[in-house]
Amino acid sequence: MTKSPNRLLATVFGAVYLLVGLLGFTATAGVGFFATKGGLLLGLFEVNIFHNVAHLLIGAALLIAGLSNVRAAKTVNSVVGAAYLLLGIVGLFILNSAANILAINGADNVLHFASAIVLLGVGLGADKNVRATAHA
Amino acid sequence: MTTTLIIRSWLAFAAVGAGVIHLAVVIGSPLVFGALLLALGLGEIAWGIVILVTDRMVVPRLAQAGAIAPLMLWALLVVAATLLGAPAVAAPLRFLPMAIAAVFEIFIGTVLSATFRRLAEPGRPASTRAPASAVRYLCAVLAAGVLVGALTTPALAATQAGTVALEHGGTMGGMMDMPGMGRH
Repeated sequence: MTKSPNRLLATVFGAVYLLVGLLGFTATAGVGFFATKGGLLLGLFEVNIFHNVAHLLIGAALLIAGLSNVRAAKTVNSVVGAAYLLLGIVGLFILNSAANILAINGADNVLHFASAIVLLGVGLGADKNVRATAHA
Repeated sequence: MTTTLIIRSWLAFAAVGAGVIHLAVVIGSPLVFGALLLALGLGEIAWGIVILVTDRMVVPRLAQAGAIAPLMLWALLVVAATLLGAPAVAAPLRFLPMAIAAVFEIFIGTVLSATFRRLAEPGRPASTRAPASAVRYLCAVLAAGVLVGALTTPALAATQAGTVALEHGGTMGGMMDMPGMGRH
């Protein structure tokens, strides 16, 4: 696994997002599922219950793909990266609106952009010979 | 033209960052500026993705010119607006997003120039470096990703579209409490 950037990234990001998803519940006591104003995780990142569930699902998808094979990791990294890029752009324009059902704030947007760039970059750029190293 | 995957990744990230900013600046720009920025932004994003997906640097000379020319044109526009005493001419291209896009463009232009110079040295092989390990590659990509994310987000927030989104009292968690940003 340590020879494949995609598997390594998916596994590490998957574990981190699972942890963030679980920790998020410590900051969302009394916060509604789709509340536009959530609690602050680590005093910086705003989350609500829906945001936590999204982190858990994304973390699980990345971790499973990372532990499976290169092709799965490459695919999930690219798809999640593209989704985060879209969320990073859309998130900027729905702040303070009723459409902000993930309770996104500015710090979230920076993190979403950074995650998008890294996941998409590694998903598209690394492990080109995916057939030969499918189980690396 | 051959470059390492790390260099190509950094160039691609910078190109995508600049492209997203240029696309955001289209909103609220006059038609001529908007058309140029739209073409530039789409071209930058497409180039960034193509050099990642293919294993080579495509149209490097055009990319170098495409990185430097908009910067020169913007600088000329600002100088002309200042000399003519007509700041409204350059006002649609807000300073912060254009400046951050310029940082990405300068990075692309500099790296491409350095690569051209390296390849032009007589007797120098195309690539002498062994591929980076997965951990080293990921560290390089993570650092670049965090940097591009941290630069692109405030740049987008400072565009007219971003300002409209924020003007109902938001400050992006306190990150946008800078002069000229967020509230107008």
